[in-house]
Amino acid sequence: MSELNNSAPKKGLAQKFDDFKALDARDKRSVIGNWLLDHAMIIIIVLLVIYIQIQRPAFLATASIVNIIQLTASRLPIALGIAGAIILTGTDLSAGRVVGLGAFVAAILLQKTGAVGRFFAVGDPWPVLIVILLVLAVGAIIGFINGFCVAKFKLHPFIVTLATQLITYGLYLTVSSAKQISSLDESYTTNLITAPMFKIGNTPVMMYVALAAIVTVIMWFIWNKTTFGKNMFAVGSNEEAARVSGVNVTAVIIGVFALAGVTYGYTGFVEAARMGASTGTIGLNYELDAIAACVIGGVSFVGGIGKISGVVIGVVLMQLIMSGMTFLGISGSITYVIKGAVILIACAIDMRKYLTKK
Amino acid sequence: MKKLLSMVLALTLVLSLSGVAMAEGNTQVFWYSLSDVYLSNVRTSLNADFTAAGIEFVDQDANATQTTQTDQITTAIATGTDLLCVNIVETGADGIAQNVVDQAKAAGIPLLFFNRSISEDVVKSYDKCCFIGTNYEDAGIMQGNMIGDYLLADYEKYDLNGDGEISYIMFKGDEANQEAIARTKYGVENADAKLTAAGKPQLKFYDDSNAQKYLVDQNGTWSRQVAQDYMTTVLAQYTEANGNMVELVIANNDEMAIGAVTALQQVGYNNGEGTVTIPVFGVDATPDAVENYMKPGFMAGSIKQDYEGMAEAICTISQNMIAGTDMFANLNENFTVTDGWKVVIPYAMYTGE
Repeated sequence: MSELNNSAPKKGLAQKFDDFKALDARDKRSVIGNWLLDHAMIIIIVLLVIYIQIQRPAFLATASIVNIIQLTASRLPIALGIAGAIILTGTDLSAGRVVGLGAFVAAILLQKTGAVGRFFAVGDPWPVLIVILLVLAVGAIIGFINGFCVAKFKLHPFIVTLATQLITYGLYLTVSSAKQISSLDESYTTNLITAPMFKIGNTPVMMYVALAAIVTVIMWFIWNKTTFGKNMFAVGSNEEAARVSGVNVTAVIIGVFALAGVTYGYTGFVEAARMGASTGTIGLNYELDAIAACVIGGVSFVGGIGKISGVVIGVVLMQLIMSGMTFLGISGSITYVIKGAVILIACAIDMRKYLTKK
Repeated sequence: MKKLLSMVLALTLVLSLSGVAMAEGNTQVFWYSLSDVYLSNVRTSLNADFTAAGIEFVDQDANATQTTQTDQITTAIATGTDLLCVNIVETGADGIAQNVVDQAKAAGIPLLFFNRSISEDVVKSYDKCCFIGTNYEDAGIMQGNMIGDYLLADYEKYDLNGDGEISYIMFKGDEANQEAIARTKYGVENADAKLTAAGKPQLKFYDDSNAQKYLVDQNGTWSRQVAQDYMTTVLAQYTEANGNMVELVIANNDEMAIGAVTALQQVGYNNGEGTVTIPVFGVDATPDAVENYMKPGFMAGSIKQDYEGMAEAICTISQNMIAGTDMFANLNENFTVTDGWKVVIPYAMYTGE
């Protein structure tokens, strides 16, 4: 929950324990019950991990843990971006296609010299640093357009981003002719994004894990330590109140969507390198997984509520479930059912907190 | 009450995850899409073959998204599976398949690609790797030849407006898929070759302003619905009354062909006795197309992709790979092994007779 809901004075652990002892048996049960429910997602994760570990001892082997961390790292930035839009009681359907466009821009500029079927017949790969800035800028521009339309024309983000999703994909198809861009330069792939940083046992951990950690820290800083971040929560909880108290609501909305766009561009940059090529399906439906992860992690469509740590937990939980199902040998068809059930149940549990408060 | 309800929900969640049947997961099969009709026929046969051979398996769905599939494969490798059977999503980019091969190679797990094509260099970069498929150009070539012969048998009948040319519409399953590209090309080229050899003009695309000369499923799913929607739109403008009716339908697969037939039926064509039948051609000869469309004469022909043969070849090679023996041992002699990397399952023409 946000700072706004933490208005009660913080108590020391000892004080809390004394308070607890002072309660009668009935209240004690109620406090324990509430605690269990408030931490239901964490408890479920722990139970799940224990269960899968008993069934499949390889689940917590280093190879598997590294795999889950890497998958989480690849999904986290987009979820962090989209969480901002959800905090504003909005959503962002353009995310996945912006990822695809970002991947495409990165791939065409970083194709090997003389690759067969090279997108630009002649030329060398650009410097990676320039390309990443360019890709982030592409994301920021689309995000800016999203935010501008939402703030200025008072359109619901669902409509605006549905439109930009289609436009972005259409532009991508027009420019790319749906060609796959393969043969990416090593300065981009194996020497940067998928470069092994170090090994745990025999399993290398790739560079994009560190990059995702950096992105997370930056986002945490923006959300919690900047005026912009505080304004974002203010606008999300009550736009009118924020406006009256002097917050530039338009700037905040545009800023949140543009920042989200940057995270999509970044994700596109990583995905093309991770896959070894840019294709038309990169990014497809990423926004849906990201939104699901956010709401599982307690970022609420009610608005003004959400924490970076919650988003991280949401993404980790999604990956644990997906990975766990592979370990348990659950077929693809059932996977969808379980994924849907998890989203539904997680949100129902989460919503209970706000319902009791109202 | 609310609390009780959410407790129950939480419990259900945990139970739903633990209550599922346990399989050993020795073999992981990665499907391009569980909703693809031809592949679901392969899957039904393969599941039966695997069960009969005592191989434990799990089917995974990439939902037509390569990133999903690559992540599934990475996860499966982390579980220490014995064999990977991959029906790859992206067929045009070697980088993606190479990425998968490199991962399997690093873990020493045998890897079998099937159905969706992989280039020779990629397969040969790993000694425990092979590809089971078709000579993908053959389907289009065979379809084109079939169309040419079919039209020449009664050319005037099919030339509805009597302008001496046959106007056609082409449905492409996926913009970037190599098989779709080849079928789109040869389906027309080979029919043209037959027609010109018999002194007839080439086929004419129904819409002069479309330079691509095909309509493509933008989602790349070779979908019945997409073809039906296109065809309905086309038939609103192109009719016998206007003298510009589409006189031939060529589709990259049976699903798209069936979509076109459905659209034709809605405006009174291809409905058996008493109605004009526009020749519609597909590829795959799926059970649905054969039983419900070709036997009653609503669809003119298709090219049979032998799904049972495909499943049989996958199963035999899987057994060999798991046992660590020669990959191609005990293979049915109908299948040819090309150059030590590719097993070819032959196509056949099918007209519903």
